[in-house]
Amino acid sequence: MNLIPWKRKEAETSLAHQPRTLSTLRNEFDQLFDRFFGDLTGEMPEMFGARGAWLPAFEVSETDSEILVRAELPGVNAKDVEVTVSGNVLTVSGEKHEESEHREGVTYRSERRFGRFQRSIELPSAVDSDKVSAENANGVLTIRLPRTEASKPKRIKVNTN
Amino acid sequence: MSTQTAIDKTTATNEVRAERTRNCATYQPAVDIIESPDELTLFADMPGLRPEDVDIHFENGMLTIHGTVAERQPQQTRFLRREYGVGDFERSFRIGETIDAEKISAEYVDGVLKLHLPKVAAARPRKIEVKGS
Repeated sequence: MNLIPWKRKEAETSLAHQPRTLSTLRNEFDQLFDRFFGDLTGEMPEMFGARGAWLPAFEVSETDSEILVRAELPGVNAKDVEVTVSGNVLTVSGEKHEESEHREGVTYRSERRFGRFQRSIELPSAVDSDKVSAENANGVLTIRLPRTEASKPKRIKVNTN
Repeated sequence: MSTQTAIDKTTATNEVRAERTRNCATYQPAVDIIESPDELTLFADMPGLRPEDVDIHFENGMLTIHGTVAERQPQQTRFLRREYGVGDFERSFRIGETIDAEKISAEYVDGVLKLHLPKVAAARPRKIEVKGS
């Protein structure tokens, strides 16, 4: 199942290098559960392989002015990535190609995954789709989605009489 | 990769490898290793580095690849979803004597490290022609 390889990288983390506190461990479990059960409701068809031979890992964060989406796409050329925004759904699709050496030589170790992927993410607030920008640098895709004026948080001053 | 041999060798030469003290997670990159008649080619998925952040170290038959990741996010951002951790990459391989260590070369494109490990001439397959009289 596609879910497993996302997590593999973290599972292999060398404990010797990383003194973990209970709170970071708890956070990781929270994220694991959020993702698993979140996916069950939101991305069911995707999860069962309807789309994509592999699924890249995503990171979504927000500031007052924009929503920032990052994805780890090592080995995916910028020309092979497509980003679309439709309403409040962001869709990222693309393809990771095998290097020519894979076809010519004998494979000793094969841990990386190739092929097409597609993921759709529901955005937490309205964005100005005309001003969305995307950049793929060193295997990390960064998408900046500026919030619409109406969806930006406003600070209301409390007056005293 | 033979960890046991690696440990034996380290003890034998009375050499201790320093532990890393940088306070961040370290991840093992996923790798593919392909053999052609002339070389072994190693691909490692190490997204988010700059070429100058990748350090390749070869000593006593151990090849270590290490990538130092710069902090990606300013502290004040609120995370809504985090599926991957950001941290250094490190992985070691034991390289046999059939590899010409002097000629190891590397490139880093689109987040993938590609290492060329050329074989020594003696280890390359040769075709011997059979002459008829």
